[in-house]
Amino acid sequence: MSNATSARPKPFLQPEYCKGCLRCIEACPRDCITPGDEINPLTGLRPVALHLDNCNGCSLCIQACPEPYGLRRQAARPCVGDDFELEDPAKLFGERQVANHSAGDVPDTFVPLPACDPMILKGTYAAAIGALLAGCRHVFGYPITPSTEGAELMAKILPKLNGSFVQAVSEVAAVNMMYGAGGAGVPCLTFTSSPGFSLMLEGISYMIGAEVPGVFINIMRGGPGLGNIGPEQADIKLACRGLGHGNTHALVLAPSTPQEMLELTREAFELSFLYRNPVVILGDGYLGQMTGIVKLPATLRRPGLPAWAVWGDRAHRHNLICSIALEETDLEQRNRHLNIKYAEISAHEQRSDLYRCEDAEMLVVACNTPARMAKGAVEAARAHGVKAGLFRPITLWPFPIDALLPVLPTVRQLIVVEASPGQLEDEMRLALSHAGIAPPPIDHVRRFGGLLPQQSEILAKILNYQEVLS
Amino acid sequence: MSTETSTAPASPAVNLPLSKKTLTSDHPTWCPGCGDFAILNVYYRVLEKLQYPQESIVTFAGIGCSSRMPYFVNSHGGHYIHGRSLPFAAAISLGRPDVHVFNFGGDGDGFSIGGNHLTHAARKNTNMTYVIMDNSVYGLTKKQTSPTSPIGFKSKTDPTGAMDRPINPMRTLLNSGATFVARSHAAQIGHMTEMMERAARHNGFSVVEILSECVEFYDGAFDAAVPRKGGAFQTIELRKNDGTSEDTLRHDPTDEVAAFKLAGLEWPGKFGVFFEVKRPTKNELEAGLVARAREKTKNASDLDLLKGAFARMR
Repeated sequence: MSNATSARPKPFLQPEYCKGCLRCIEACPRDCITPGDEINPLTGLRPVALHLDNCNGCSLCIQACPEPYGLRRQAARPCVGDDFELEDPAKLFGERQVANHSAGDVPDTFVPLPACDPMILKGTYAAAIGALLAGCRHVFGYPITPSTEGAELMAKILPKLNGSFVQAVSEVAAVNMMYGAGGAGVPCLTFTSSPGFSLMLEGISYMIGAEVPGVFINIMRGGPGLGNIGPEQADIKLACRGLGHGNTHALVLAPSTPQEMLELTREAFELSFLYRNPVVILGDGYLGQMTGIVKLPATLRRPGLPAWAVWGDRAHRHNLICSIALEETDLEQRNRHLNIKYAEISAHEQRSDLYRCEDAEMLVVACNTPARMAKGAVEAARAHGVKAGLFRPITLWPFPIDALLPVLPTVRQLIVVEASPGQLEDEMRLALSHAGIAPPPIDHVRRFGGLLPQQSEILAKILNYQEVLS
Repeated sequence: MSTETSTAPASPAVNLPLSKKTLTSDHPTWCPGCGDFAILNVYYRVLEKLQYPQESIVTFAGIGCSSRMPYFVNSHGGHYIHGRSLPFAAAISLGRPDVHVFNFGGDGDGFSIGGNHLTHAARKNTNMTYVIMDNSVYGLTKKQTSPTSPIGFKSKTDPTGAMDRPINPMRTLLNSGATFVARSHAAQIGHMTEMMERAARHNGFSVVEILSECVEFYDGAFDAAVPRKGGAFQTIELRKNDGTSEDTLRHDPTDEVAAFKLAGLEWPGKFGVFFEVKRPTKNELEAGLVARAREKTKNASDLDLLKGAFARMR
């Protein structure tokens, strides 16, 4: 053995970095390595054992080792107690040439809008304009009747505003684009209808888990399954109780006029970013297609950028948008955090509209388009001398129970009017039950399958109860 | 998955021969001038020729104008989720190998939302016929861009013109492993009949893409292939294997590379059978698996087999 050979460094191994794959044994021409027989307590794996008396330092084993910190030359051996640390790429390649923003939020700014005459718009257009005024420049969607027009308007307008509308290959793709845009901290929106919303649920669950904002406008149509394209309030249960798997909730807003479509959509973006949670706007097919007078708000929002978003700079390198938490304790913690958020939303964001409820004995509960029929019925009932009132929840989740409870003492009969087989009534009953209130008797006027409750039906119901109760 | 599970009611002793009259169920609701009428008529003609027992014909569709098809055909059928009619049809084909499965869909149904289902239905070679009625536009939702809309096509979701590269249906299908790939045009009744009949007779996953003009939202989309409008309808001449020298110039439908080249021709391209090979179908493979497994069990009753399995679990 010459001096040159013996001078070649021999391999060494830190046992915690060896997984015992035995590739080095195959590579060694001198049989210096044997499979280990002791389990390493740190890794639970069995590292190989080196017997270097016969080793000539050929380094074939080092080449064979697939581990980055596995077999190394003895010359490269660090001091005892040293651990291997990954080198920061920023130090390897120098500082990255990007602007170094502060770690805080960039706040929204509001620009005053010049006053203009009211417009006559259909519901989906009104929602689109509300989104534009809220600073939304990213819209994703897939054609589905009766919601497509909103997306079409966006496709026309957005390129001029330095934004984009992308027609996704399906609703599944659209919701994941929402996740991406929301994760980048930009306000984004999708228009869809019931079957499409079903497809989006998986993504919504991920968005809620990762706390990503986004606004979903669901122009509900008749179901289940393919159903039809007539108006129905068939997704109240889905939006309030079933947003995909896991512990999920999102604010659910129910406009009833094109004006509200605009205002609530605009507000939905602020709420979505405030709570870092998706917001669902439920409109029925009628509301999406119906035209009405719409007044524009006084300001336009220029969205800022929240500190948690993907910024693409050094200060925000640790911003990670994901919904996975493999450790049981982490996941429990995240769910506790979500529950606190849900409780906050429930406490602060309940909205409702009360019409002649102050002395109402017959209280009609309705939202979306049926609320407009209900309002007519209440007016007609008042003309008959019946003390009728309309309670219109604007948030369906959380149900505005705090506003309902003070009204109840005078109420002798609740009548829930809806274009679904009892989904709104279930939400109300659940809210009453949670509040521990024994409600007055509840009856309902329900139409579905693309039909809406008629004013005459509601009025007949009210008058019938008036007769029975008096 | 075996034919033993079939519980079809016995056919009536005398079956009326299939004709357009017996096959028609409802008046089509498409717009006047739609290419889909021709495809429906050709479907009737093909069924007339094949004379399958009427109760063994199943017509499926997803969502779109084309997918109104099952309503107009007096057969079993289903109108299913947008893009998901292929898995639905595949399960029928596997569960009831004795029925003849015809699946209709549009370009949005097949290439956009159902793109992955199409790929895997082709890969698995489940026995069925898929007719793609391609109009290069979303007609039912009133003019949005579809995956086959050409660059520059102005739709409501691309008001300044589509910018994404359209899908080449033939190449997509060849790549996915479909065993019968053909292309036709809704203005060519004879050609369409031939293609659809060959597809129906093919054992395995057979696809016919039929260019079917949407007169309402994409008028004149396929004029380049209509001789009456100054276009050219070029058909693919198939190899006859007669040993002559000109025969080598004809297309060999078992040659995947030649088919791929043919599919890349300039618009409107050629029409006819691009590719046709024999490969074991999913139905045959499944039946083989069951037969081999049953052989091992020596046809024991399921009760005995389950008892044995439970005993081992204890």
